[in-house]
Amino acid sequence: MRYLLPFLLGLALLSLWEIWVGLADVPVFILPAPSLILAALVDNFTALMAALWVTVKVTLLAFVWAVATAVSLAIVFTRARLIEMALYPYVITLQVTPVVAIAPLILIWVGFDNVSRALVIIAWIVAFFPMLTNTVQGLRSVDPQLHDLMTLSGASWWQRLIYLELPAALPAMLTGAKISGGLALIGAVVAEFVAGSGTSTGLAWRIIETGNRLEIATMFASLALLSALGIFLFYLLSFCEWLLLHRWHESFRR
Amino acid sequence: MSALALNAASLRYDNGFTALKNVTAQFNSGSFTALVGPSGCGKSSLLRLLAGLEQPFIGSVTGLAQSQIGFVFQEPTLLAWRSVADNITLPLQIEGHSPNEIAARLDEALALVGLTDFADTLPRQLSGGMKMRVSLARALAKRPPVLLMDEPFAALDELTRFRLDDDLHAIWQQQKCTIIFVTHSVTEAAYLAERALVMQGGEIQKEIAINQTGRDSGFRSAPAFTAACNALSMALGHGTGAGGGA
Repeated sequence: MRYLLPFLLGLALLSLWEIWVGLADVPVFILPAPSLILAALVDNFTALMAALWVTVKVTLLAFVWAVATAVSLAIVFTRARLIEMALYPYVITLQVTPVVAIAPLILIWVGFDNVSRALVIIAWIVAFFPMLTNTVQGLRSVDPQLHDLMTLSGASWWQRLIYLELPAALPAMLTGAKISGGLALIGAVVAEFVAGSGTSTGLAWRIIETGNRLEIATMFASLALLSALGIFLFYLLSFCEWLLLHRWHESFRR
Repeated sequence: MSALALNAASLRYDNGFTALKNVTAQFNSGSFTALVGPSGCGKSSLLRLLAGLEQPFIGSVTGLAQSQIGFVFQEPTLLAWRSVADNITLPLQIEGHSPNEIAARLDEALALVGLTDFADTLPRQLSGGMKMRVSLARALAKRPPVLLMDEPFAALDELTRFRLDDDLHAIWQQQKCTIIFVTHSVTEAAYLAERALVMQGGEIQKEIAINQTGRDSGFRSAPAFTAACNALSMALGHGTGAGGGA
């Protein structure tokens, strides 16, 4: 039922769309019928898959970098209060400044010879913050009695980290990762929009390009692929979460 | 011979609260001492001082290395992602014992608390009493000369608590370790300990020796038990009657 219901609803809506577009004679460059979008997807399959792959690469690279840097910085923050005090305002500045406003600067600095590097950096900026805050919160919320237990066992700082803090913070980190994964994709799309040149050839660029040419069916096909990518990322991370937590964590208790 | 001692020790927390005032006490090797008193009287602080988890503000603690101390918290304090066996062996793993040694101590500790069949179970599948047994086994696996217990059975139902009290007493007689047991229950203190220190307002108010005559069977109805309960209740300032504070 959980999978059947949304599927049936989607099918019904697509049929309505198809019928209505036909009956009302809506121009193809305003709203193409679903069958035309599917046809555009098939016709441009190779080009769209190449574009999808570019966006996937930028998104995944930005996401992996966001997780790695955020977790490292979170560990430093929980170990050294002074470093946290010194750095935190700048981390917030990076987060609250709209990325669209910083993007041109980053493109000028690192994008001349290598656009995809600039794209990854822009997407990384967007994805970084939720991972950081969730990890810090997870590392900080460890039961103080468990810390006492580690002290009584004579644990070194890295034993404390490996045996206690990282596993205890895992649920919060995975929540952060689910948000960051979605944001990495948004960041990648924004970055491609801003880069807006022939050297970046991801899905977002295809959307602009097809929009300019009024190839609205292909534009919808690109859009559908972007949504599919976002959904895939979300479920992939949810699966990782299930894999790592379902045996022991309360949130998976039936 | 005294295993642990506090010498005119005071403990003040960072927020300025003085938890212990000029406390002097000795704990002999192999003895079973109960620390009894109302909430906030400083009994848990005294235990943390003995364990080296807090440092005295004034005075000194004559104690043991933390590797020599088994500590049982009020909560089971288990790592939810580790099985019963992995929880029990964690301190041994951190201390760097050989795998054979760890396996031997694990079997021994599981047998002592009667959980041999539950080695691979995860904490969330256990009842409150069984979790507490795991926590006790983890402390015992270190083979500590001293066992410090901070109201370990307070959150359990009465029947489970009686059974764990009995098991703990048997383990104490078998292992001959020094036990210092914090409780707010007068009956539990009278049932388990040879000696009770009654605490109030961060000080030891009174030391009461508990006569263990009739310990072997039905001690809860023995005159010595009732007398100890009465003496403890009087010292705590609630008239007569066993069961006060339980």
